[in-house]
Amino acid sequence: MVKFIIKRILAMIPQLFILSLLVFMLTKAMPGDPISASFLNNPNLDPEVIEELKEKHGLNDPWYVQYTNWIKRLLQGDLGVSYVHKVKISKLLGERFANTVVLGAATLIISYLIAIPLGIIAGRYQDSLADKLIVGYNYFSYAVPLFVFALLMLFIFGFRLGWFPTSGSVDPQVTKGTLEYYLSRLHHLILPATTAALLSTVGTIQYLRSEIIDTKYQDFVKTARAKGTPEKYVYNRHILRNSLLPIAAFLGTDIVSILGGSIFIEQIFGYPGIGQLFISSILQRDYSVVVVLVMLSGFLAILGTLLSDIIMSIVDPRIRIEE
Amino acid sequence: MSQKPLLQINHLKTSFRIGDEYYAAVDDVSLTVNENEVVAIVGESGCGKSALALSIMKLHQPENTKIEGEIIFNGTNLVPLTIEEMNKFRGKEIGMVFQDPMTALNPLMRVGQQIEEGMKNHLKLSKEEMKKRAIDLLDKVGIPNPERTYYRYPHELSGGMRQRVVIAIAIACEPKLLIADEPTTALDVTIQAQILDLLKDMQKEMQTGIILITHDLGVVAEMADKVAVMYAGEIVEFADVETLFTNPLHPYTRSLFNSLPSAEHVQDRLHVIQGMVPSLKNLPRKGCRFADRIPWVDRSAHEENPEMREVEKGHWVRCTCWQHFDFPDEAEVKSYAIT
Amino acid sequence: MPLLKVENLKVYYPIRSGFFRLVRDYVKAVDGISFEIKEGETYGLVGESGCGKTTTGRTIIGLNKATDGHVYLNTNGDQVDLVKLSRKEFRKYRQDIQMIFQDPYSSLNIKKRVRDIIAEPLRNFEKLTPEEEEQRVIDALEKVGLGPDSMYKYPHQFSGGQRQRIGIARALVINPKLIIADEPVSALDVSVQAQVLNFMKDIQKEFNLSYLFISHDLGVVRHMCDRIGIMYKGRLVEEGTAEDIFENPQHLYTKRLLSAIPNINPKKRYENQRLREQINREFVEKSREFFDEEGRIYDLKPISSTHSVAIP
Repeated sequence: MVKFIIKRILAMIPQLFILSLLVFMLTKAMPGDPISASFLNNPNLDPEVIEELKEKHGLNDPWYVQYTNWIKRLLQGDLGVSYVHKVKISKLLGERFANTVVLGAATLIISYLIAIPLGIIAGRYQDSLADKLIVGYNYFSYAVPLFVFALLMLFIFGFRLGWFPTSGSVDPQVTKGTLEYYLSRLHHLILPATTAALLSTVGTIQYLRSEIIDTKYQDFVKTARAKGTPEKYVYNRHILRNSLLPIAAFLGTDIVSILGGSIFIEQIFGYPGIGQLFISSILQRDYSVVVVLVMLSGFLAILGTLLSDIIMSIVDPRIRIEE
Repeated sequence: MSQKPLLQINHLKTSFRIGDEYYAAVDDVSLTVNENEVVAIVGESGCGKSALALSIMKLHQPENTKIEGEIIFNGTNLVPLTIEEMNKFRGKEIGMVFQDPMTALNPLMRVGQQIEEGMKNHLKLSKEEMKKRAIDLLDKVGIPNPERTYYRYPHELSGGMRQRVVIAIAIACEPKLLIADEPTTALDVTIQAQILDLLKDMQKEMQTGIILITHDLGVVAEMADKVAVMYAGEIVEFADVETLFTNPLHPYTRSLFNSLPSAEHVQDRLHVIQGMVPSLKNLPRKGCRFADRIPWVDRSAHEENPEMREVEKGHWVRCTCWQHFDFPDEAEVKSYAIT
Repeated sequence: MPLLKVENLKVYYPIRSGFFRLVRDYVKAVDGISFEIKEGETYGLVGESGCGKTTTGRTIIGLNKATDGHVYLNTNGDQVDLVKLSRKEFRKYRQDIQMIFQDPYSSLNIKKRVRDIIAEPLRNFEKLTPEEEEQRVIDALEKVGLGPDSMYKYPHQFSGGQRQRIGIARALVINPKLIIADEPVSALDVSVQAQVLNFMKDIQKEFNLSYLFISHDLGVVRHMCDRIGIMYKGRLVEEGTAEDIFENPQHLYTKRLLSAIPNINPKKRYENQRLREQINREFVEKSREFFDEEGRIYDLKPISSTHSVAIP
């Protein structure tokens, strides 16, 4: 198992290398550069000064020189400096990354808390009224665009009812480390996390429902009933465990989608995380940050599939990791 | 041999819902299984033999199935029982062996757990007692190295070994009746022979009654004491095994024997039964159900409401058409050919 | 000259492992088998699941790649080694060999009409006008006893036996010389099985077809085959006429296989069971006489003009 994980991580290196090359070249192919972008609204500035600054930051070097320089620094643990924010990217990322992870984890947990019971009910009592309502909710959450729903939630629970704050990740007036601070964070988290969760249940519910319907008619369930096993155990021990397998397999990729999914939610709820940073960095041509963020999501994607494989090998005895 | 009836099926009718209508897959079947007796139910796919087996255990989807008539097991009629009441019989009094050992076991549970589940449901045993008993059972069904197999998952075993596990599960609580639904159909011949021999030995040792569902007349000859031949939801012939194999009477039984290629004697052509098995929706509900498939036999040879009659001691045949039935020569068959 | 001559055919699958996926060992699915099929003859390849019989059939028709050996096909007096041909060259000869599969339910594309199913090999191998194609399809359907109105139906509108006949019509439409039938009746009921078997015999006589009949059912094999090869662990353990094999089996494995067939005579059941027990004991005790030190089956040695057995 350990050997397998090490092997897979080693195999990640060339993948990440190709990804970095690709991302780097793409950002270079984008029109504009951070220096010009930051002085865009200042027509008085001498173009020669801009040229000088570009030269100083190495932006006029051929791309492969820029790339090798960047990789060298990256390998030393230096993610580089944001042109726009003028701070080290590692510092810029730090807190935002933590915010996004917390938001993503909360979303995932709430999503499972809603989806698993609903999927079970829909699958077990197939074609009942409850099943029809759940399938209806599924269609709804699938069809409604995230930003419309998020704005609606923000309007109702944030502005009209005033139950939850409408932006930020914590009340700036509370002191860090106190109970109050954590409660405030939780308070800020509930609305964006619930909103995202309500719309992300669709896959899990649908999958679980059809898995349960499928498993219900399997021969081994007949075997279990033929032993005189009470229905409660037939469902818990036999049907459910087998139906949850694919859900467990998705967990790895779900974790990765935290990053992607956060972009809209963070933007709408003014939640300072990676997603928000990503959008502003693109708009401001802050290449160094964009590249690092894309690399990060690529890394997580590869990690996610590895995680899925490991989870599968734990929950399903038929899948064994070799060496 | 003891002649105490263990299971008495009276006028059983099992119907399945298709759309809004119910169609009887098992139609007015009566059958007795005595203690310590192997009764084979033989027929082709769609004849209702599996539906009959599942009816006894009430393993059909309740929302789409209607069971009428009586299934009396040791004095209790199982038909009106709720699932909870039924669970006292399932696994305890009646065990079941399924056709496909590849799908009959839960892939996520260890073999030992799956054997113990039935004991947990019915017997008050400690953990250690259950484990010991499970290992004993694995040993009894001929699994080498039972202590290790106890911890194995189904996918780690071959098809034959899995079928042995399925049998171990079925006999875990020493049921009085075993229902084996095509227990060897999915297996290779040499494995089939081993499993049949095992079932025979178990039956002798534990004095179990067995209902053996099969399409294979060879398996019937190897295993059964008595045989019921089913066609289109009905039993058309019932006799002890030697009578049925030496003196089959119903046209369907005789046709089946004649269409069987044999490894013992070579014939050039096999008999082909005309037409095809009607689907559940299109089963003939009136008159002799086999009449359409022997069109050369005069209509008047059949009864209007064919009944099972005892034509010699213990040998029952449905309809009167058997008295007028003979195989036509080939040219004649061709003129009736329906493709 | 035989129609098909298989010589020392081997199909190995590599087992790879380690970081560089190096080949560590081989699964010897087919491990050096030789046999011949004459024109108009039915050769039965018999064995239990995993013995390599299906792989052999699939390799002859080019669905699997042979590791070693030869498959000579006799086309108009020339012998062509199919193993040596490139994929493109092989296509020329593919129409001489067709295959029928086990499951008539899954081997036909349910979304296609019967006409298109049967015309598929024609479209692959011949260039015909739509009228010519239709005529060929009608002819093929007629050969299998189905009317031209079946052309525009879909597979689900037919019974199991009829579907298997559609599969046979598809194989027959380009006039093959050899049909490889892989468990053609295993999925069918006895009465339907009889229909398909009779029918296969009829068209064999009519078109002088040869069959490679792959099956595990010894009753069916006895009924159908002129000569039989018994396969075990990728090798042939015994070969001979149907009579040689069934009346005078020599190899321990053949005996074991034959004794396993349920006997249709209920009076003999205990006798059979004892015979099986005895043979199973022998199978353990005498294994040195039939398998070499590595557990490999010996090469076939002729014991009569028709009968060969794998003995040292």
